[in-house]
Amino acid sequence: MIKAGQIDKGTALLIKGQPFVCIEREFVNPGKGSAFVRLKLKSPSTGQVLSETMKSQDNAEDITVEDRDLQYLYNDGENFYFQNTETFDQIDVPMKSFPDYEYFMKEGETYRATFWEDQVLDITIPSKIVFTVAEAEEAVKGDTVQGATKYVTTETGLRVRVPIFIKQGEKIRVNTETKEYLERVNS
Amino acid sequence: MYDFAAARKRSELLMNIREHFIGKGYLEVSTPSLSPYLIPEPTIKAFGTRFINEFEGSRDLYLIPSPEIFMKKLLAAGSGSIFQISSCFRNAEQLGDVHNPEFTMLEYYTVGADDRDSIDITIEMIEKTKLRGIDPEWLRNKPLIISMHEAMMKYAGVDMDKAESIDYLRAEALRLGLNPGENESWDDTFNRIFLTYTEPSLPKDREVYLTDYPDRIACLAKHSEKGPTKKRWEMYINGIEIANCYDEETDKNETEKYFAEEWEKLREERSGTEEAIPPADPSFSSLDIPQSSGGAMGLDRLLAVHLGLNSIEPLLLFSLSDMLRQ
Repeated sequence: MIKAGQIDKGTALLIKGQPFVCIEREFVNPGKGSAFVRLKLKSPSTGQVLSETMKSQDNAEDITVEDRDLQYLYNDGENFYFQNTETFDQIDVPMKSFPDYEYFMKEGETYRATFWEDQVLDITIPSKIVFTVAEAEEAVKGDTVQGATKYVTTETGLRVRVPIFIKQGEKIRVNTETKEYLERVNS
Repeated sequence: MYDFAAARKRSELLMNIREHFIGKGYLEVSTPSLSPYLIPEPTIKAFGTRFINEFEGSRDLYLIPSPEIFMKKLLAAGSGSIFQISSCFRNAEQLGDVHNPEFTMLEYYTVGADDRDSIDITIEMIEKTKLRGIDPEWLRNKPLIISMHEAMMKYAGVDMDKAESIDYLRAEALRLGLNPGENESWDDTFNRIFLTYTEPSLPKDREVYLTDYPDRIACLAKHSEKGPTKKRWEMYINGIEIANCYDEETDKNETEKYFAEEWEKLREERSGTEEAIPPADPSFSSLDIPQSSGGAMGLDRLLAVHLGLNSIEPLLLFSLSDMLRQ
C-alpha cells in the first residue's frame, strides 16, 4: 500500500483487481480543503484512461513491476509481437493500448518493457530512432530556397518533415517525442 | 539557469499592481511574516520556529500562511482600504507545478465593498496591470461569473439544494464512480466531486469567478441571504486557482464560533503528529471589522498565466524543489 500523495508518473497500481499505470499526476489543494491528487491512469490491456481524484492520505494498492528487454518482431494490425531477448518467449501486446506506437516499432529493434507478472504495462520508446525513408516526394526542380523542406514516409509509416535533399532509401535519425528530423545517417 | 527575462516580467507586474492600488487610494502596508498566533485553519499547515529570548522566556513563532491576521487588525483600527504584496508560507504543500511552500501573495481589502463589488475590482485590476506586449487569449474574453450551485449541476449533475445532506452527497459520489471513504467528512466528499468533475470542466479561456461556496465549508466569509452558501468566490484562469475573496465576516459571535470550532478541529487532528499547532489569536474575535471585501491572489500563478505557463516553477529564481535537489 502507498499513500495517494506518493503516486507519481509511471507508478503502477491495482484498481479493482486491474493494473493501471499513472500517466499524469497533479496536486490540488482546494481552497479551505484537504490536499488531493488528481490522477490519470491508463489500463495497459484496454488503453482505457481513468480520471481519479484521491485524498493525498488515501491508500492505494501499488504493484511491483520489472523491466525486461523485448525485441520487436511484427504486428498484425491487432497485436504487436515481441520476443523476450533472454528467454526467447514470444509476447503479444494489444496495439490499441499503445496508440501511435506502431510508427516507432522497427523490426529487430530492442525496447524496454515494464512488466507486472506476465503483463506488459508500458513500453519505452528510445528518444531517437534511425528510420529508412520508404517514400519521398521528389524535390521540385529550381527550388533552391534555403531551408526548404518536404515530407517523407518511413518504413514504419511515420511522416516526417525533412530537408529537400533527403532521398528514398536513405536513413534518417528522428526525435521520437517531437517526431522531428534530426540528421541524415550515412550508412 | 536564472530566467532574468521572467524576473523582469515579475517586477513589471508587481510595479503595475502597486501603482494601480495606490492610484485608487489604497494604503500599501507591510506586516510581519512571523507571528506568535494564527487564525485557525485546519487545512493549512504552518511552519513553526522558535524565538530565543534568554531573559524573558523563549516563544514558538509561526510563519504566516497569509497576512490576513494583521491586515484585519488594521482595517478594524480604521486604516481604510489596504493592500500588501508579501511572501506567505504553507507547510506540507506538495512541491509541484503550481505549489511552492513559499509564494508571493497579493492581499487587498476594500472598505465598504462586498464580494460582488470585488469581482469588478479584480477584473479591472487584472486588466489594468497587464504586461506590456503580452496579450493572452484569456484576457481578451469576457470573464465568466458562475455560482457553485450552477457549476455543480452543469458539470457533475449534483443538486446543491439537496447536498446539505451527507447521505445525498455520498450517494452522488458513488453514482459518479468515486470512492468516498467510510465516515468521510462532508467537505472531503464535496471536494472529491468538485475536483473530479466540476473544477476540471470550468472554462479555461477566461477568468472564471466561481461564487457562493457551500456554507458547510467553514471560513470567515459572511453567510449569504440567498441560501446555504457563503459570500465567497474563487477565481480560476486556465484551470488554475488564482484568487479567492470573502465578504468579510463582521459579526463577532460568528467569528468567535469559527475560532472555537476550527481551533478544536485543528488541535484534535494534529495532536500526536509532528505538525505545528499554532495558538489562535486571542484578540481577533473582538475586532470591529468594518464592511469590507478581502481578496487574496497568488501572484506567481497570475504571472504564469500571463506568460502562458502551466507552472510557477520556471518563474521562481530559487524554487524549493530546485534547492532540495542540490
